Amino acid sequence: MTDRAQYEPSPASGARVQKDGEKWTLVLVRELRQSPEKVWQAITDPVHLREWAPFDADGNLGAAGSTVKLTTVGAPALHVTETTVTRADAPNLLEYKWGGFDMRWELEASLSGTRLTLWTNIGHRFIAMGAAGWHICFDVLDRFLASQPIGRIVGPEAMKLPGWQRLHAEYAKEFGVETLNWPPQTRQ
Amino acid sequence: MKIKVTSIYVDEQNKALRFYTETLGFTKKTDFSQGPFRWLTVASPEEPDGVELQLALNDNPAAKAYQQALFQQSQPAIMFFTEDVQGDYERIKARGAEFTMAPTAVTGSTIAMLKDTCGNLVQLSQLARW
Repeated sequence: MTDRAQYEPSPASGARVQKDGEKWTLVLVRELRQSPEKVWQAITDPVHLREWAPFDADGNLGAAGSTVKLTTVGAPALHVTETTVTRADAPNLLEYKWGGFDMRWELEASLSGTRLTLWTNIGHRFIAMGAAGWHICFDVLDRFLASQPIGRIVGPEAMKLPGWQRLHAEYAKEFGVETLNWPPQTRQ
Repeated sequence: MKIKVTSIYVDEQNKALRFYTETLGFTKKTDFSQGPFRWLTVASPEEPDGVELQLALNDNPAAKAYQQALFQQSQPAIMFFTEDVQGDYERIKARGAEFTMAPTAVTGSTIAMLKDTCGNLVQLSQLARW
């Protein structure tokens, strides 16, 4: 757990916002040092997801047509949604919905290993927060894939990190949106 | 231990927020998202630190079925108390809300019922003075 105690998020990078009228999509790109096959397992296998993802899955997401229940981890009320995987071309393309969000994962072999791209639509007010949250998840994923797992950091755990406010502010500035005062700084 | 929040399922949270604030007159209290989960509550301006109403998205089949069954049986999903049901009825109606029951005297109270535009019936109750 020493590594987890020492973890601080890396600087904001690799995210952009696609605006299509009212619908905003967060696009996150991360270079990982492992093969697409290994990354594919990390994004589809429930045991692997548990190590880094902001939700738990009760089944494997790697087959089109599968119905899987996703539980948002750390939400202020138990939140379970059911999804059907609409596309699963291992180890390159995965599509399903997380609640009302479209999730599209693309894995491309790259010089360093895999270039992972995630497209997810998200409410305007929370887009910088979402980018910061996914950023931390991907930092944790990177360590998990390197066999140096530090354990999932999501929800309140993420917001307690020393670098949370800084990371959130960096994305807000990059996207030209306001930061939310969350968790509230002035009230106990 | 305190009763601090109660929930209602809605089919669309932004639409619900408009109805419960602009039409009914409550104020937004908390609005926070985590992933696709959005914690959204309103409170009464008469009691800003009173009980909050959570506008919960009915994004699972059990919630949808429960909400639709209540609505089809004409049962209110939530009940609010007022000191002036006739006045509220007129004000809220003037803002475009659709009532399914005008103020009606029943045992112990006068009640009115309206649609919240998000799949629910809402009852307004004014207790009779004894």
